[in-house]
Formats: sequence, structure tokens, C-alpha cells
Amino acid sequence: MPKTASFAASLVVAAAIGASVWAQSADESGGARRESPGEFQFVRLMYAANRYGQRSYGWGRGRQMWQTDWPDAEHHFVKGVARLTRIDAAEQGQILSALDDDLFDYPWIYAVEVGYWSLNDREAERLRDYLLRGGFLMVDDFHGTFEWAGFVASMEKVFPDRPIVDIREDDAAFHVVYDLDHRIQIPSRAYSYTGRTWEKDGVTPHWRGILDDDGRIMVAINHNMDIGDAWEHADWPDYPENMTALAYRFGINYLVYAMTH
Amino acid sequence: MFEFLFKYPRDLYARSDLAFAAEWPDWLPITLVVLGIAAIAWFLFVRRHAAGPVRLAAVGLLQLAMLAVVLWMLMLPTLETEQLRAGENSVAIVLDTSASMAYGPERSRLEEARGLLESAIGDDRLPVSVLRYELADGAKPVESFAESRPEGARTSIATAVIDVLRAARLGPLAAVIVASDGADTTGGLSAGELGEISGFGVPVHTLAIGRESMPEDLELAEVFLPARVLPDSTLSARASIRHDGAGETRLKVYDGDSLLASVPIQLGEDTGVTTAWVDFELADVGPHQLEFTLDGKDGEQELRNNRRSRLVDVRDDSYRILYFEGEPRWEYKFLRRAIADDDDLQLVSLLRVSPNKFYRQGLDAPDELADGFPSRRQELYGYDALIIGSVEAASLSIDQQTMIRDYVGERGGALLMLAGPSGLGNGGWGQSPVAAALPTKLPPADVDSFFRVQAEVALTPHGAASQILRLAGSDDDNASAWQGLPAVADYQLTGTLKPAATALLTTATERGVLPLLVTQPYGRGKSFVLATGGTWRWQMSLPVEDQRHETFWRQLTRALVAGAPANTSLTATGAPGGAGIKLRAEFRDDEFAPLDDIGVSAVVGRDDGASWTVALNPSLIEAGIYTGDIDPELSGTYFVEAVAERDGTPLATARASLVYETGQAEHFGFRRDSALLSRLSAATGGRYLTADELDSVPDLLRYSQAGITEIETQAIWDAPAAFLLLLLLKGGEWLLRRRWGSI
Repeated sequence: MPKTASFAASLVVAAAIGASVWAQSADESGGARRESPGEFQFVRLMYAANRYGQRSYGWGRGRQMWQTDWPDAEHHFVKGVARLTRIDAAEQGQILSALDDDLFDYPWIYAVEVGYWSLNDREAERLRDYLLRGGFLMVDDFHGTFEWAGFVASMEKVFPDRPIVDIREDDAAFHVVYDLDHRIQIPSRAYSYTGRTWEKDGVTPHWRGILDDDGRIMVAINHNMDIGDAWEHADWPDYPENMTALAYRFGINYLVYAMTH
Repeated sequence: MFEFLFKYPRDLYARSDLAFAAEWPDWLPITLVVLGIAAIAWFLFVRRHAAGPVRLAAVGLLQLAMLAVVLWMLMLPTLETEQLRAGENSVAIVLDTSASMAYGPERSRLEEARGLLESAIGDDRLPVSVLRYELADGAKPVESFAESRPEGARTSIATAVIDVLRAARLGPLAAVIVASDGADTTGGLSAGELGEISGFGVPVHTLAIGRESMPEDLELAEVFLPARVLPDSTLSARASIRHDGAGETRLKVYDGDSLLASVPIQLGEDTGVTTAWVDFELADVGPHQLEFTLDGKDGEQELRNNRRSRLVDVRDDSYRILYFEGEPRWEYKFLRRAIADDDDLQLVSLLRVSPNKFYRQGLDAPDELADGFPSRRQELYGYDALIIGSVEAASLSIDQQTMIRDYVGERGGALLMLAGPSGLGNGGWGQSPVAAALPTKLPPADVDSFFRVQAEVALTPHGAASQILRLAGSDDDNASAWQGLPAVADYQLTGTLKPAATALLTTATERGVLPLLVTQPYGRGKSFVLATGGTWRWQMSLPVEDQRHETFWRQLTRALVAGAPANTSLTATGAPGGAGIKLRAEFRDDEFAPLDDIGVSAVVGRDDGASWTVALNPSLIEAGIYTGDIDPELSGTYFVEAVAERDGTPLATARASLVYETGQAEHFGFRRDSALLSRLSAATGGRYLTADELDSVPDLLRYSQAGITEIETQAIWDAPAAFLLLLLLKGGEWLLRRRWGSI
């Protein structure tokens, strides 16, 4: 499928999801007043994939990269947030592109398979604005040198002058709710039948970030791991429970960090 | 005409008693009346067939009236008037010689008063001897007013009159006459002073000198602003400008040679005092001597009252605000970020992340708030302000809730309560002890009052005038800045406002226009309700460089800590009328209980290097308060440090400073104060006089009831009015009987 057609299809999917989510929020005046179902609503970032991210054949055919693990990942994770914290979390998630004006109503967003994302200049500018105003981006599920390069290529459009750094051990992101001193690589579901926790050449997991001028994490980068898969397959008997539990803890820590820093 | 008909002036009748010179026994007039009535009745009875009853009654009434007039004259009515015995009394003439008496368009007020006194009440015209006094801070006896000069540095009319009355009380004092502009520099006449003066029983007549209206003059009557501020705070000074008539001027604020602000001011036609606000910033830490000046009017000669000096201490103190939040949410994050760069504010937050875990930020020590919300007053009272977010009241004990109420009412802290799913009414705060301190009557907990619906925000008139909500310099820019704000993410019902509450912001919702930011004073402190947890949308929806969200929170949190009393404090204020400096120190312990078993002294330093120590005495009214006075001989900046000791061991210190200017009081408020003079004369049975009423002074003195008096008797039986009345009555009867022809 050509790239343009693929992106158009994804927009249709997103529009359908969005319509169902927002149907409940229109008020009597015709939607002039926006109503929110909760303080926190899981927002998945929709993006156009680069030429290596077209799923026109094989596994995942017909689904876009940004849709990976959707919708079970957020469904499961949000329930965990509601159960384990006092955050007023909406059950229903949300899908937005960087160009969507509503993006700024959700100070926490999640992007997956970012090794294949391809942000254009406008999207990069909007995302930069979003992050500098106080938004938080968690990226996940990309592996190895090649996908890292794909991620960095777009991220450098967002922040050409901000380095990507390893998150320090003592950073609040690893302690705000759970102390995550002993971190392990969280694998995809494939681990249950391959026994391998890594993919491609991404043997070593990296918890990295991009910081604002005050040293606060704006972008939490989970490289060589698949936290989203651990959320998605929380109910999968073969997926290790301890991996899922740790994935929940990472997600909750990032979320509470974003709500406190 | 009155005097022609009744033989004597009306005033004489007013001050005299009526008596009868004919010393008849009591039965005689009664007998004469009875006989007279019987004679008239017999006269009418005989003629009963000659006329109808109406005509007989008319004739009878006329005859009765005539009989009454005749009896009145036969009893020899007289006026008995109490008046001074000539040559045995004195009168005190008190001439105001304070500096304000130097004013006048042509000749000074003093010259005007002296001329009036000499021409109208010279020695030979008065039935009394004259004692002369000059009036300023007190009264000073003088032989003559010829050498009097308007040089008094202050005016205390009550003190001077009391001095005169005390000095003259041994002799027969008939009256006191005060010739003054009434421009008292001590703040006026107190009820106690008036009572003491009237207790002497001597009438005090006041002769009003000068003009009440001085269109050529502007006066910077007062400037109000905080004595202490944080660095980079926007100060808002309130200036009162006294004027007579419309015009315009400009108020300027200088810090040394540096112009901080300059605002144009329109003066209304009818208002005697116009209030104006001027905003400016002080960045540098330390004392700043500010000069407030008004541009003079064309031809204005007295410019000394167009300026005021004020000392503002910019202190780099760090204020600690405790923020107790019941759930992670965006407002928490963005509130923290908004004031993160404010070095003067430390936000210590306690966030309940999960039912079993708190997350703490902004701590001074690792064990701070380790046990959750403070349970001891000493711990809670250490914070300068308290913010409570979306958390149920039931998460705290009743003692803790009571402590929060007392934190506001007794400690004098500020409380800000935010909206949220578990905040305000939803959180049960309306049924908690804290409710007493809040500015609104919150809805009950079983009514869901929180709505996650976006809502636009608008300033109320009070909000538009509040510096807390000043997002831009001018009123118009500020209004635009608020109108351009995005909607907040949610809102909550506040319930009805309490009588002392003020709404600063409202929000337009599908439920109508609701209060959004409300405040009220409570006890020594104040409370706020911000009925949203969604101001974070301002930050996320506006460009990065837009500072409105940060400004709102920085100003609101600064307003919370502004004025929060420390447990030790000292204020130094210039007493009214330039009567020295009043010191007031307050010492409380860590739980803000007053310390009343300590000794307090104050070390006073002046900018020329002089220093000395004064003792401060415990107040008999308020525990923990110690007061004292400084009598500054020179103008200058005074620095005072109060030291509290117990058994020789220093416990605490408090500092204050002020600029004191001697000899300035007389140049402010120097318009004629007729009301004050009227009150003084009315309270003592005297008269308030103007220049054209001076002719009445000799009579006022002659008939004064103070001093040594005698009774003068004057016959009025022969007043023309009596004879005229007799003529009219008899003539009327004759005309009626002639007209009817039958009686």
C-alpha cells in the first residue's frame, strides 16, 4: 500500500475511534463545552511511518505502526492505574496526531514503534511546543541500532539541540511511586516461545530521556524493550507475570512523574 | 418687628425665664378667673334670646380672651435673665498659632484671626477681663497677640483647650473663644477629650478661620503600601489625593533618583478625595526609601503637601507553603512548575499517590511530613500558607481539621482550597470544622458538585481591581489578558458566598455564572476557594512564552503568604500629628501562643549613627503585645530592633524601620475643619462662629452661664403687643355685635 494511502486509512480508523470517544462529551450546546471522562486519559500518538515501517505484508499487515498493541495495551494499563493509584483515569483511551489541536488537553501521550515514525516539520514543531509547555511523551517498543536511528531522525526534528541522556538511577522517574532500582529488559510476547528478551541487536535495554531546561524529563525513551506488549498481554498465560508487573510499574512511574514534575 | 412688639429682642426671650412681679396669693388669680367667667356667662345668659348659640359663643370667647390678657398684664410679667456680673469674670481668647495659620491667599489666617479678635472683641466691648493664649501643641498664655507667629509644628486643639480650662479653673471663667482653622494634626477630637472639655462646664465658642475649599491646592493626603515585600513583587500603592474641583495631575514614584512609575490621575469635580493606584516593582533586597510626588497645579504655592516618603523593606525571605493533595493530577504538576522559579516561595507538597503512599516534594529535611499531614500545631503553623487540593476531609482527624481552622483564625495563615473530585463540597469540607474559615457555604458531600467540563473565566469588578489577578499593566490590557485565556478544564460549585466574602473570578457554565475564586478574611488570616482544578489548560493551551499561567499562580501564592504574620513582629509607625513614633512588638511561641512572661526592649538607630534603647511595656489589653514610644528629634530613617528576653536570655528579635519627618504635619490637611470646630462648640454649649457673626460675641459673653452671674429682671407687661391684642379683641367684639345688631 502506498504511504499516502496507508496514512489516510489510519486517519479513518482514528476518526472512527475519536468519534466514539467524544460522542459522550458533546453537551446540549452542540459540543462547545468539552467534557472529559477523567483526569487522565491514555493518548496514543498517531503518526506516519517511514518507508521501512509499511506493513503491507507479513505480521501486522493492515495495521499501522502506531497501532501496535492497541487497544488492549491501554485498556489493561489504565485499569492498573485506576487500581493501584488514586489517579482518576478514564477507561477509554484516545488517539491523536501531533497536529490535532486537542493534543494539548492531554499532558501525557504514548508512542510505540517509534523506530519507524516519520514526523514532518509541522508535526515536529507541534510536538516540541507540546513538550516545552509541559507535555510528556513516553516512547516504547523499538529495538536495535536501526530502529534507534529511525527514532532519532525524527526526534532530532523535534529537538535538534537537546541531547538524549540516560535517566539517572536516582531520578524521580524511577522512584516516584515504585523504586525501580533493579530494572530488567521487558520483552515482547515473543519471549514466551523464543525465550529471548531482546530483538534485533537490541540486547541491552536503555532507559533514556530528553530533559527540559530544569532537568525534568519531557520524553521517556524505553529502547530495546516492549512495555506495551507487557501491558497488552497481561492476561496472556504464557507471558511472565513479573514482566507485566514491572511494565505496569514503569508506566505508573512515568505517569505520576509527569503529574508531579 | 419682634423687638417693637415685645419690647426686647428674641434672643433675650430665648435665654430668659418668665416670672410675675405681682406677688399675689395663689387663690387670687383663680378667683378672678372664676368671677370673670361667671360674669361673662351671666352676660350671655341674659341675652340668650337675642342671638343664636354660635354668635353667643363667639362673643363669649372674645370676652374670655380679653379677660385673660388683662389678667396677664395685672400680674406684671417679667423676664429674668442670668448674666455675668460686670467686672468679676474673665474670658479666655485662644489664638491658633500653628503653622497652618500661615496660609492665606493674601493675608495669613493668623492675621485674619488677629484682626477679627481685636476689632470685634476688644477689651472695652466685653463685660469681662480677657486672658490670651496661643494654641499649638498646647496652650501658652501671652499678654498680647501682637507678637504671635504661625510657627507651631503641630495642632492639638483638645490639649490646648484643656490646658486653658485647667489654668483658668481657679478663677471665674465665663467662656473660651478659640480662633482657629480647626486643622488639628492629632487626628481630631476624641469622645474622651470632648467629654473632659465639656466636664468643665464652660462654653467654648469657636471662631472659624480660613477656607474650607482651596481649589489652588493639591494634597497627597496618604499613601498606603506594604512595609515589607518579596523581591520582584509588584507593589500596589494606594494614594489618596485631596483636591477641590476637577483637574488632572500625575503621581510619580521614585526610588532615590530612579523613577519607578508615573501614572496620570483625573480628579473629579465633586470629590474631595480621589483614590489612585500605582504599581511598580522593587527588585533589590534591602530598605528602599520611596518618594511619592504629585505634579502641582498651575500656580500652586504649597508643594510640601504634594509628596510623601515611605520606607519599604525588600526582604529575601523564603516563604513556605504546604500543599496537601489527595490525588496525582495535572493541576498539581503545573502549579508546582508555575512557581518553581520563584526563589522566595517554597512549595512543600504532600501528595497521596495511592491509598497507602504519599509522595513528598520541596522538603527541607528527609523526615519532613514523613508521618503525613501535620498533627501538631507547631508543625503546621511553621508554614506561611496552606493549599488543600482534591482530598477528603475525612482523610484527616477532627483535631487536624480543627487545627486547619485555627491555622487561619488564630495563627493568621492563609488557606487556599482547590476544586477536585474529592475537593470542596465533594470532600465533605462543608461539614468539617474547616468550613467556618471558608468564604462560601460549600454544598453537602452527597451532592456531586464537581464537573469535568471546560469553562471560561471572567474577572469580577473586585477581581479587576485586585493585584492578585493583574496579568497586564493597564486595566484594559488586563481585561484583554483575561478575556484571551483558554477555558479551565473543570469547575466546582462553591455554594453561596458568606457575607464577608468577595468573588474575584467567575466562570460561565451551563449552570450559569458561578463564583470561581472567592476570598474572605477569617480571624487573623484569610481563606480562598478556587473552584477549579483545571487552570493547567492555560499553560498547555498557550504558547510557551506566554506567562499568564505562571503569573496567576505566582501572584496568588504570594498573596497567600503576604501579610501572614510571623510569630515575632515589630511595627513602627509615625503617630498622628508628628507626635513621635509608636512601636508595637508582638512575640508568640512556635504555636503562636502569646508570650507574656518576657521582657522586651528596643534598640533604636538613626541613619546619622545615633542609637539608644527604649523599654517596651506589655499591653494591658492584648497578651503578647509590647508597646513603646520614640520621640525623634530629627527627621531621618529610623531602624528599630525589638529584643525579647526571659531571665536574661534572648529569645527572639524583630526588626522594623521607617522614615520620619518632623515639622511636616502642619502642611497636610490644612483646609478649615468646620466640622471639628462645630463639634467642639456644640459639645460645650458654645457657638460656632464665622467672621460675620462676631457682633454677637459681646452678648454671648454677657449672658454666659459660666462664671459669676446675676439675675436681671425686665418687665414686659407693658409690651405693645399686649395693648394691641386688647384693642383687637375689644374692637372685634364691638364689630361683631354691631354687625349682628341683636346682642
